[in-house]
Amino acid sequence: MDELILKLKNEIIAVLNLEDVKPEDIDENAPLFGEGLGLDSIDALELIVLMEKEYGIKLNDPNQGKDVFKSITIMAEFITANRTK
Amino acid sequence: MKINNIIRHSFNNSSEITELYRSLKIDYPKFFKMDGLSKLGLLASELILKGTENRFSPREDVAIICFNSVSSLDIDTLYQESIQNKDNYFPSPSLFVYTLPNIVNGEIAIRNKFFGESFFYICKIFDARQVIDTVRKTFHDTTITSVLAAWIEYSEEKKEVFMMWIENDNDVMELTEEQINKLYIDY
Repeated sequence: MDELILKLKNEIIAVLNLEDVKPEDIDENAPLFGEGLGLDSIDALELIVLMEKEYGIKLNDPNQGKDVFKSITIMAEFITANRTK
Repeated sequence: MKINNIIRHSFNNSSEITELYRSLKIDYPKFFKMDGLSKLGLLASELILKGTENRFSPREDVAIICFNSVSSLDIDTLYQESIQNKDNYFPSPSLFVYTLPNIVNGEIAIRNKFFGESFFYICKIFDARQVIDTVRKTFHDTTITSVLAAWIEYSEEKKEVFMMWIENDNDVMELTEEQINKLYIDY
């Protein structure tokens, strides 16, 4: 799980262009939205694309994203349970 | 009409734009998510507006008028390339949102809380007459007291910005096409 969490941090930094943010700066248990990284709605869409592109997980229900993207740890748990690649 | 400030910059590559941004020590992480055109416009607006009194106080009397010849072709091409492969089809939302030239106006407006009129014109070459005419027409709306007018060209070959802060001052002599052309060439 730790390996996946680190991979996710690096992927999020890359796809969301989080300049000057390092993996160790991100608290994997902190909320991704509303505080901390200061992500916006376009970032949420990028995360949905990331889930499909890298892990073969298609989020058809936008409301599902609210639960899945609560934190990186929750994302990692969801990916582990649902990934197809 | 009176020109209060002018910025004219050319860059050889996108890294130079980022380097100048960093040197200004601006804390605005959204900059890094923007396309080249928006980065160039936002950076020029930072240079022109830094030190302005009551910066970031909401203003409904400021209009933003931009021009260029290439629209948002740079990011349009990147986006097109990202959706070219039908077997690896993952359109990027963050690229897509910049596939309109006037997004740069929006970025400047959001950053500075400018709520006045906003236009983006695409023309073949820099046209001082069109700049003056458009600014003058904008001042017909008497709620507008200042215009941020810019030629912002961002392409593979050319990255240049010429931005002016123009104020409506009826006591001052009218700007002429020759003056604007001279400023564009000299700066």
